[in-house]
Amino acid sequence: MKNHIRCLCFFVVILIIFGNIGGLLAQDIRLTATVNHNTLTINDQLELTLTIHGTQDTAPPSFPAIDGFTLLYGPKISAQTNIINGNVSVKKGFTYVLQPAAKGKFTIGPSSVEYKGKVYTSAPLTVEVVDASASPGPQTPDFNKLIFVEMTTDKNEAYLYEQIILSFRLYFQRGLPIADIDYSAPAAKNFMEEKLGDQRQYEEIRDGVIYNVLELRTALFPMVSGKLVISPATLKCNLIFEQRRGQRDSRFDSFFGDAFIDDFFGRKQSRYPLSRATEPISLEVKPLPEQDKPKDFNGAVGTFNMEVTTKADHVKVGDPITLTISVYGEGNIQTVSEPLLVADNEDDFKLYPAESTTQITNREEVIRGRKVFGKVIEPQKKDLKSTPVVVFSFFDPRTGQYRTIEKGSVPIIVETGEQEIPIQLTVSGNVSPSGKQQVQLLTQDILPIMTSVSSLENQGNQIYKNPILAGCLAIPGVVVIVSLFIIRHKEKLQTDIGYARNKRAHAFVRKRLAAAQTALSQHIPEDFYSSLSKAMSDYFADKLNISSANSTGDTVATLLRQKGVAVEIVKEVSDCMVDFDYRRFSKKEGSLEEMEQSLRYVEQLIARLEKLLL
Amino acid sequence: MKMCFLPHFFLLSMLCLNFGTQVVRSETLHSVISQNEAKRLFADANEKYQQAAKLIAEKNIQESSQKLKEAARQYETILAGGFRHGQIYYNLANTYYRLNELGKAVLNYRKAQRFMPRNTDIEANLKLVKNMTEDKELSNEPSVVIKRLFFWLFLLNQNELIILTIAHYGILMTLGFFLVILKYSWLKKFVLGFAVCLFIVLVSLGVKIYKEQYTNNGIIITEKCQIRYGPGEEYEPKFEIHGGTECIIEDERDNWYKVYVNVGVKREPDQKMNISENVNKEIRSGWLKKENVDVMNNKFL
Repeated sequence: MKNHIRCLCFFVVILIIFGNIGGLLAQDIRLTATVNHNTLTINDQLELTLTIHGTQDTAPPSFPAIDGFTLLYGPKISAQTNIINGNVSVKKGFTYVLQPAAKGKFTIGPSSVEYKGKVYTSAPLTVEVVDASASPGPQTPDFNKLIFVEMTTDKNEAYLYEQIILSFRLYFQRGLPIADIDYSAPAAKNFMEEKLGDQRQYEEIRDGVIYNVLELRTALFPMVSGKLVISPATLKCNLIFEQRRGQRDSRFDSFFGDAFIDDFFGRKQSRYPLSRATEPISLEVKPLPEQDKPKDFNGAVGTFNMEVTTKADHVKVGDPITLTISVYGEGNIQTVSEPLLVADNEDDFKLYPAESTTQITNREEVIRGRKVFGKVIEPQKKDLKSTPVVVFSFFDPRTGQYRTIEKGSVPIIVETGEQEIPIQLTVSGNVSPSGKQQVQLLTQDILPIMTSVSSLENQGNQIYKNPILAGCLAIPGVVVIVSLFIIRHKEKLQTDIGYARNKRAHAFVRKRLAAAQTALSQHIPEDFYSSLSKAMSDYFADKLNISSANSTGDTVATLLRQKGVAVEIVKEVSDCMVDFDYRRFSKKEGSLEEMEQSLRYVEQLIARLEKLLL
Repeated sequence: MKMCFLPHFFLLSMLCLNFGTQVVRSETLHSVISQNEAKRLFADANEKYQQAAKLIAEKNIQESSQKLKEAARQYETILAGGFRHGQIYYNLANTYYRLNELGKAVLNYRKAQRFMPRNTDIEANLKLVKNMTEDKELSNEPSVVIKRLFFWLFLLNQNELIILTIAHYGILMTLGFFLVILKYSWLKKFVLGFAVCLFIVLVSLGVKIYKEQYTNNGIIITEKCQIRYGPGEEYEPKFEIHGGTECIIEDERDNWYKVYVNVGVKREPDQKMNISENVNKEIRSGWLKKENVDVMNNKFL
């Protein structure tokens, strides 16, 4: 199966190729003679190429008669087949290398070749050989011959609104490396512009040298008559050339000869900026002739045609009919105005303004387009047989005359329409509101009773009478308040040291007193008094927010007095603290009862102070 | 914004709620009739009303009147049992209307409106009955702007306003709790917003309670009665008013109410000119027997 498919594909390819080659038979056969330079020094070599276009099946063309040159070698034969978008072009070249024998202008005579009984001849060439000693060192190339621009129009005289093709061409010698092309279009004042197609690229032989051509084309429509000038177009580009490393003045060598044989890796790229400008173009724009100008002429200039169609051919009076009027052709289609409709009687049809759409159908060679008008007409009478005649007039610049196209009326059948019902848009002022009759209210009565038993609930039971609910209402509030106090208390404990010490003082003193109680039960007086003394001093240190070292009897007494504690209590505290310190460090030990009494006394004292030092 | 206002706000809310609770608790009768019994009586009364309506259509006036009286008695029994609903008052008002007791009809429509403030049937029937009363009353209804501005006050009954208050209170406390615990600053705006809303609703509830409990509105229930210059038969009659006319009870003495009736009073043309506003109001005040008027307050409902 695969083999079959392969065979089929191969067959199709062969058919395509040979089919196209077969088409070559119809191509023009021509012979061209080109040289690589038409000006060279006596030391340079000249490459003469004779190219047969359109076939490769020929004998070499005859070598032309050349004076002043000697043939070094040749011909070097090259064949080329190009397939672009299905178009096949073939050519065969025969290149000869010649050495100039003397200075001066020399003519390379025509060459000829015979193909299928016909003889094809090339044009003669002129080559100038100059003295090599005239320019010492490397020969500087003539940039004006290497790259140049041209701007042309297809006509020097035109009518108002007539289409003029403006072409801008960039010529550069084949193989010349250029980049960064910056094109500035000419200022075409008083013209309406339409770009024509994409840029074109092709080769052209000028003075025996092959140039690559880049062509940009624009359609211009002059909007005023008289002598108009198209300003120059400018082009900027960079020539790319390779330069030997460390050799600054050899850049022009790189263009020819040496550039192609030098070591690739021993060179670097440089850019040489060039600027080219075209000559301005003068145009004579003639006004449209007044003679024989049709009355319905609206300024359409070009070559146009017109079609008129309609879909509805069987209508009633007042029904809309859409006439599709299509104007198409060569010229500025956008400025084409609506064609005229001519009816036998003005009252036969009611005409509505047309809606139009414009389409440029071809912009390769010239501007061609189509403008479609949708014209709605309404037959106003019965027995109308056809639509109005459509008339379109334009000026044909090729013939220099006005032309009028009349498209015959389209046959239609019009029947009597239905009775038209007028639409009431406004209320006439003379209609009296009193003329209307009001609805007579027969009786007045109350609305019926409500019988929805299911929804019958005691609405007299106010929900807030429920004590449980009232209690529940308090809960969230209490929770919020309690949580607020708890959070604040915690925050204060973390941020206010005095507050924190004050709050924990009682808990700490209870621990100390418990330790004292233990010492008492074990009958260790030193530990007992030490615990009592520390309990008192730490308690007051925390309560008064002072350091434990400063918590002596005198300091505590002073601070307690400042806080407004009664003098008796202050004295008791001071005496206690002094007494416990004394007993702690002295050998004087109290009895067990005394110790127990001291403990109870301290507990009571702290309990009293706890209320006073909140 | 510190959260220190929360406890104060809570206490204020509690005080307001407690005040409302105390006021109503002391004035509300306990329901002595079960819901099922109330429903049975209600359905029975409705049936009698429907039968009466058919008899009226058949022009059997005597029997229909009998049926209507039975229906009214059953509706009154439900209400007397402490069971209250807007439907009962509305149906009772309809029944009294059929019995041609316009005063009682107006009275019960007004009571029905307090429980069902959004019901348009009540409004329509009340309007019809008021049109049938003889005295031309001057409008003392709040303006449309006030009704639109404080719409919740006119569209919600007392219980609904309480629910709204509790809902706001609950949300506020929840938000307050989360604000205290989590300390999200963006919660403060919500807390403040709900605090303002709660304040508004609380004030509205207070206004509602005051209007319904402490404004002594009354309605003339007898066919006609005389307003006298003083509380006694010995005083000269000032003018005569008819059933269905609404009045405000300003004072009471023995068996007499001092009422202000917002009705148009005819005067001599020469008197009209030099009467000040106070005098103008005084003209509409007078005394009438308690038996001629029924009061609207909830404590009497």
